[in-house]
Order: sequence, then C-alpha cells, then structure tokens
Amino acid sequence: MNAMEAAHAIVAGLRGAGINLVATLPDINLAELLRAVEEERQFIHVPLCREEEGIGVCAGGYLVGKKCAAIMQNGGFFNSNNAIVSTLMQYQIPLLLMIYYAGDVGDRTFSSTGSMTEPVLQALGIRYYVMRDSDDAPELIRRAQILAEDSRRPVALLLTKEGLGRRAALKSL
Amino acid sequence: MSVVQRFDCLKALAGSAGDALVVSSAGAVTLEWNAVRPSDGNLRVRTLGLCSSIALGMALGLPQRKIIALDGDGSLLMNLSSLATVARMKPANLVHIVFDNEVYEASGKKKTATGAGADLVGLARAAGIENARWAGSVEEFAQAAERAVNGAALSFIGVKIGTERASVPPYPIDEVENKYRFIRYVEKSEKIAILSANLPASYD
Repeated sequence: MNAMEAAHAIVAGLRGAGINLVATLPDINLAELLRAVEEERQFIHVPLCREEEGIGVCAGGYLVGKKCAAIMQNGGFFNSNNAIVSTLMQYQIPLLLMIYYAGDVGDRTFSSTGSMTEPVLQALGIRYYVMRDSDDAPELIRRAQILAEDSRRPVALLLTKEGLGRRAALKSL
Repeated sequence: MSVVQRFDCLKALAGSAGDALVVSSAGAVTLEWNAVRPSDGNLRVRTLGLCSSIALGMALGLPQRKIIALDGDGSLLMNLSSLATVARMKPANLVHIVFDNEVYEASGKKKTATGAGADLVGLARAAGIENARWAGSVEEFAQAAERAVNGAALSFIGVKIGTERASVPPYPIDEVENKYRFIRYVEKSEKIAILSANLPASYD
C-alpha cells in the first residue's frame, strides 16, 4: 500500500469501528491520513492547536454520544498526559488514540521521543498495539475500539511509517 | 462601582440557562453553580484548562442543545489555544463564560496573568470569536447571558469578579458518578442511547 491507500484503509477502519468525531494535529507522516479524515463526511473533524485540547474535545463528545478518536504524533501524546490521566482515567472515559510513532527504528529526528513512547504508555497502564501493516488497519482499529469501550479507558495504536504506507515493511518487525 | 460576585452572576444565569448542559471549571464555580442549579446536566471538570475543550466537544456532538462553559481566568490561561480552535469550529450552540478574579483562587490566590494585564475578551476576539464582550455588572452579565443562551451564535462573556466564595455545600458526587448521571441525563432528555452494556458471555 502507498500512503494514500494506507490512509483510506485507516479511515475505513475508523468508520467501521463507529468513530464519528476525530480530533487531529498534523505530523508530516500523518499528512495523507489527515487529508483522508478531512474528506470523510461521516466525521466531525476537529483540527487542534495543541493535542491536550483534543482529549477534552473527545471526552466532551463521548459524554453526549459520539465515538471519538484522536490522531497525533507521540510528542503530542506526551503533551496530552495530564488530560489523559485527570480526565479520561479519572472519569473512566474510553478514547482511541492513534499515535504516529516518531523515532521508531530507522525513523530520523525524534529518537528520544521514540525511546520514551512505549515506556510512558506502559507507565500509564494504557494498552497499546503497534500497527506496522495497513492491511491490519480495519480489524485492529475495530478491536482497539472494542477494548477502549469495554475497559472505559484510552487504548493506543502506534502508527509506524510502514503502517502508514510510507516505507517498505520488514518481516522481522 | 461595587465588586461583582460570581455567585450573584450564577444566580442570574440559572434563571435563563433552561436545560442547557453546563460544564464548569475546576474550583469553587462548580460548587456554587451546583447550589443554584442542581442538575445531572452539570459536569464538573477536574483538569485545569480543559473546560473550554470539553464544552467544545459537547457543542459539536450535540448541535441542537445549548452548552454553557463556566470557565475561570487561571483555567483559560492554561488553554488559550482552545480559543482559536473554538473560533475555527464556531459552534453556534456554545456559550463560553469566564469569571475573571485575577487569581488562582483554589490554589492559594496567587495572581494570574490577567491581574498583570492579559485581556481574555481581547484574546478571544483576536482568536476569531467576534461575539466576545465584557460585562461590567451583575445586571449587564444577566442580560448578556440571557441573550447568549437564547441566541444562535457562538458567544464569549467575560466578567471581572471579586475573590469572595459563597458558602455552599461540597460537590455531592465523584467523577465517575458525575459521568454516568450526565450521560443518562443526555440520553433521557435527547431520547438517544449512548451507553450499551457489554455483550453477554457468548461474546463475539
């Protein structure tokens, strides 16, 4: 899959999981995905200025009946931690976090962010799955949303470059 | 001119709020609002700064219902970027009220940046919320709030208040109960289903 095909597979996955409100903040690797999100008429799309706002927007949406997802880079996930803990977890609100995995193996420029991403998710007790193949997107997204709703907690999917159709997949990863 | 007290503003607002869903910032505003309008349609926010963003999510998710955010200066200063996001989305059903006492009232009354000159209504306007204004008295606030609640446009009302707290009871429920009661209230009043039980033992 190329980036555009991967973007459409992910959007189809979000739609299939019942998602209808999506809060986003760009990363260059998310560009195609955000374009596809913007074009999807079934979504209320909320472009954010800072990722932590998105946790509030999604919590508010959930409380009035929306199924929400937040798409951001892992640096934005770090920006969001207070709201994730003191709103999502404190009120037991589910949320699908779609996080670009900057600093993943061989991914230049944010290796420190990449190094701390999984440890922070683990410290917060957020269950997460690494999406390395966009063929998995529809099923993985559906399952992650079920887990979020059942556990009434945030669940994260880490989107790698290969998962976003931006580089070749390696079988050993 | 006498100092405006938040509790008097809230009493005036309760008269015009109707069945609006109300999101209130961390701090005494929540307790005072709950005293003047006890309702399962009230949500207390615990994350400082997140009030405006939670209210935005509600306003976008339920466009037919009036949503009122009761914010404070310390809270909004922490999430100024939400003003630009709110302006960009422009939900016609959102009324954003900020009680500005120029201190972190719940955190030892240290001065906030509005006490040093930051103008929240000016910031809201500059962010793109055209319908933003200061109310200079309880009467002015009551009129502005009534117009905003009954109108059909995004609005932002700032009011400078004193630091006096009304003597009101503590918040009666915890966050999880607040969530469930709020959702059930929305379900009932909007005649929609939000929460579903997990599938039974024959899962999948």
